[in-house]
Amino acid sequence: MSELPKALESFNPVEPSPRTELQRRRDRWFRGLCLAIACSSVAILGLLLISIAYQGATSINSTFLSGSHDPENPEQAGMYPSIIGSLLLCLLCGAVSLPIGVAAAVYLEEFQPKNRWLRQLHGLVQLNISNLAGVPSVVYGLLGLTMFVYMFQLFGKLEKNQVSGIDFWGVQRYYQFVAADDLTVIMVPLTDRTKSTLEIQEACPAYDTDFNPIELVVWDSRTPAPSDPEVLSRTVRQGEVGAAVEIYNWYYFRVPFGPSLLAAALTLSLVILPIIVIASQEALRAVPNSLREASAGMGATRWQTVQQVTLPSALPGVLTGAILAMGRAIGEAAPIFVVLGGNIARRTGPEHLMDSCVTMPILIFAWADNPVEQYRQLAAAAIIVLVALLLVMNSVAIYLRGRT
Amino acid sequence: MIVNRGLPVPNALQNKRYRATGSARRSERLVVGALVACALGTIALSVLIVVMLIKESWNFFSSPQVSLVEFLSGSEWTALEEKELDKVKFGILPLLSGTLRVTGIAMLIAWPLGLITAIYLSEFASKRIRRVLKPALEVLAGIPTVVFGYFAILLISPALQWFSPSFDTFNATSAGIAVGILCLPLVCSLAEDALSAVPTSLREAVYSLGGTRMNTAVGVVVPAALSGVISAMLLAFSRALGETMVVALAAGTSATFTLDPRQQSQTMTGFIVEMLKSDLEYGTVQYYSLFGVALALFVITFGMTMLGQIIRRRYREVYQ
Repeated sequence: MSELPKALESFNPVEPSPRTELQRRRDRWFRGLCLAIACSSVAILGLLLISIAYQGATSINSTFLSGSHDPENPEQAGMYPSIIGSLLLCLLCGAVSLPIGVAAAVYLEEFQPKNRWLRQLHGLVQLNISNLAGVPSVVYGLLGLTMFVYMFQLFGKLEKNQVSGIDFWGVQRYYQFVAADDLTVIMVPLTDRTKSTLEIQEACPAYDTDFNPIELVVWDSRTPAPSDPEVLSRTVRQGEVGAAVEIYNWYYFRVPFGPSLLAAALTLSLVILPIIVIASQEALRAVPNSLREASAGMGATRWQTVQQVTLPSALPGVLTGAILAMGRAIGEAAPIFVVLGGNIARRTGPEHLMDSCVTMPILIFAWADNPVEQYRQLAAAAIIVLVALLLVMNSVAIYLRGRT
Repeated sequence: MIVNRGLPVPNALQNKRYRATGSARRSERLVVGALVACALGTIALSVLIVVMLIKESWNFFSSPQVSLVEFLSGSEWTALEEKELDKVKFGILPLLSGTLRVTGIAMLIAWPLGLITAIYLSEFASKRIRRVLKPALEVLAGIPTVVFGYFAILLISPALQWFSPSFDTFNATSAGIAVGILCLPLVCSLAEDALSAVPTSLREAVYSLGGTRMNTAVGVVVPAALSGVISAMLLAFSRALGETMVVALAAGTSATFTLDPRQQSQTMTGFIVEMLKSDLEYGTVQYYSLFGVALALFVITFGMTMLGQIIRRRYREVYQ
């Protein structure tokens, strides 16, 4: 028979021993310390939001939301191009990485092979995704810079601040002329890209600004001018010099991409790909196995099960993860800075895929880095807009998560 | 005809065709092929990163002005200050020491605070407090890094200078504190996952022996979840190493080889940003030096992440 422990021998429930008292006191202290430290993170969040709101709230007005960066005049500066740029970038990036990420997650979760070698490949993909999530985003930026912006210089050397490359579609090049009535603009198609100007000597195919073909009349200024205003509007003086203009459609495509919206979006989609895969995997894992078994019992193949049972029931979780990843993409600055550079002087959002683009974090970075105090206040105002946008996205995500 | 409770049995079952139809199986093969391609695409991404870093940094390491030994052991880094290529010194130690100073300070904040918050959340917190703390931490985790950089120069740096005037305007401490705040939610959520995976039976065993909650948390739950906790710390460490925007804004632009946390300290990521901001052309040795720095950064963070994964997998205690 074992002996009774000492603590129980002298057990007195009314008056606990000094040692027990000490333990209890320590426990209370520890609990208080934990609570204080846990609350300090809330306090830090509060301090951060309040100090930024205090700094920037006065700068938010309609000029700020609709204007663009003004290097001389901080009062006139605004962030409209960056809002459009961030939203477009985020949409494009989601459109690329969401399908790929969810597909990779479905493969990892729903198609686990029985073959030993394939199982090892599976483990390798899984490990690789965890590692990709740990790669610094600035390294992704450098990958985007060499792979998308310069394309490993396969298409010739791309100089900084100079656009070159091979066009695929979506661009028309014209020489622009002013007609003899000094009002109408006439476009003549460009054939040789090396010539930036064209001198008109004889009639050639021409278009008006709506791209309807017109009959060009070349007028020698020594002879009397045509009197009919209709003819005059499609008449060009002989020897008139027109400059080359380029008209882009939104789907303009060229290689290499250069510092463009598309390059930035592809780079960002690489950054958030591992996040989307991991979040989708968790959502798929949360679907009860009985659903899959029921579907298989009805004779469905694995893909039919995924398509009609597993994915629909995991959809809220997948969407939550996707929205959180989009939030990450909107707030990410380093890879975009590497790909697009820090230029914030733009008056509009990106107009085609190969257009350069300003995003909110880049604008905030440039303003915060500016030694002029007023620009720093503008940075705080831009942060308020960005954080408000992110909070909206997060609440949508939390709402969706609540519905699972 | 087989009839079950008055309902006719489907044709497929009557004819004993239990397998999926041929077209379903064919499209199945196509879809699986596409899914496999996506999964293999993620591996291709890793390969591309490594190939890109090695190929581009080869341009740097193979140039006559650079030697690998000097790169790894030199204590001067003047890629941006020096205009003449022959006089430029490429020694990575100042950048490395800057990175480690900032990361060290960040971890001094993120590790204890994150771990204790995680202990509180998993062991002590009532539902009401959880409902406040969890969303706050999630919001903190979702705030863009550039905001923390701004916070560092707006508030932390002036506060430090008020505390002691010997701090530079841009210094390692303010950047480190901001990076620490940024990593706190990461440590906390990963550590909390690990702690709450410890089965309740272990806790109940401690209570039945007369242990207090503190005894339970410190003596049993944390040791039982140690692999997860350490891997959370390592992941936060590698996140802090690669953090870019905060240090670009708050840590300063001169690469100093010291241990003094009050001085400016350009980090590896900070140098990459500064180099891209400068007007040096793509193709110069100085420009390619950023790929050399990026390769070093990648090797370190990759090692950390890998170590974290291995610790988590190998030393995980599996409870039934």
